Amino acid sequence: MTSLTYNHFFILYLIVFIIGCVGLFLNRRNMILILMCIEIILLAANINFVSASVFLNDINGQVFSIFILTIAAAEAAIGLAILVIYFRNKGEIDITQINQLKD
Amino acid sequence: MFLVGSFFLFAAFLITTCIFVIFSKNPVNSVLFLVLAFLNSTFLFILIGAEFVGIILAIVYIGAVAILFLFVVMMLDIQITTLMYNIKRYVPLALLFAGIILAEIIYLTVFKTSKINIDTFIRSKNNTEQIGDVLYTKYFIDFQLSGIVLLLAMIGAIVLTHVYRPTIKRQNIDSQNSTTAKDRVQLVKIKSGEGIKDD
Repeated sequence: MTSLTYNHFFILYLIVFIIGCVGLFLNRRNMILILMCIEIILLAANINFVSASVFLNDINGQVFSIFILTIAAAEAAIGLAILVIYFRNKGEIDITQINQLKD
Repeated sequence: MFLVGSFFLFAAFLITTCIFVIFSKNPVNSVLFLVLAFLNSTFLFILIGAEFVGIILAIVYIGAVAILFLFVVMMLDIQITTLMYNIKRYVPLALLFAGIILAEIIYLTVFKTSKINIDTFIRSKNNTEQIGDVLYTKYFIDFQLSGIVLLLAMIGAIVLTHVYRPTIKRQNIDSQNSTTAKDRVQLVKIKSGEGIKDD
């Protein structure tokens, strides 16, 4: 019977990555879904790092995945803060008018 | 056999929940499916022996990031129907992108197969000890820098969302300490029959 290999995880990573990117393309107007799609893409990167680290028997990948988690948390905090002030100013979260923030 | 079966179960759940995240009409449903996706990847990490990262993923993502999303979604009053139109314009671009990566997947499954098996490794220490050995020695500077990044994100979020209202009265301790009795109290001598004259 087939055993678990790195290929399984790499294909899972690619599928999750595709779903995140397609979500970015399709939900171009909803800013909170764009942030969620970025979280999905970072989760896919984490899956790839951790599975490669386990299957190559090298712990550095898991340490790096912790750093990715840190950056993802910081990014979510800043992104949601920008989302809140954008909603407070505009009353909507349509991202097509976000270029007016520079005025 | 158990390992492969569990992998396929959790992977199928992960992919399904990710699809539900991007196609849900209501953002609250999206956030809850995002929580489920993180939980499934936690199971996958524990399955292959990366327990520490799996548990950290559950604590940080589900406990902090997803709940932050949930709070923001509940705070905002979003009209869902106005956001959903004009979706067909970007379908070809998304299909093109997905097709390129699907070609990579087919190439990998057919031509390149990894022969590394998980059962061959012998671990002397457990996962958390291994990470701790590297994280606090080799990656010490990076560890401190990630703390600074988190601090910066916290300060940035506070500065961005803070609303300054001049009508709110605040305690100013410096001016309180530097006042003397002359600033506050005036001693007035009153002669009889004249009353107090205002200066």
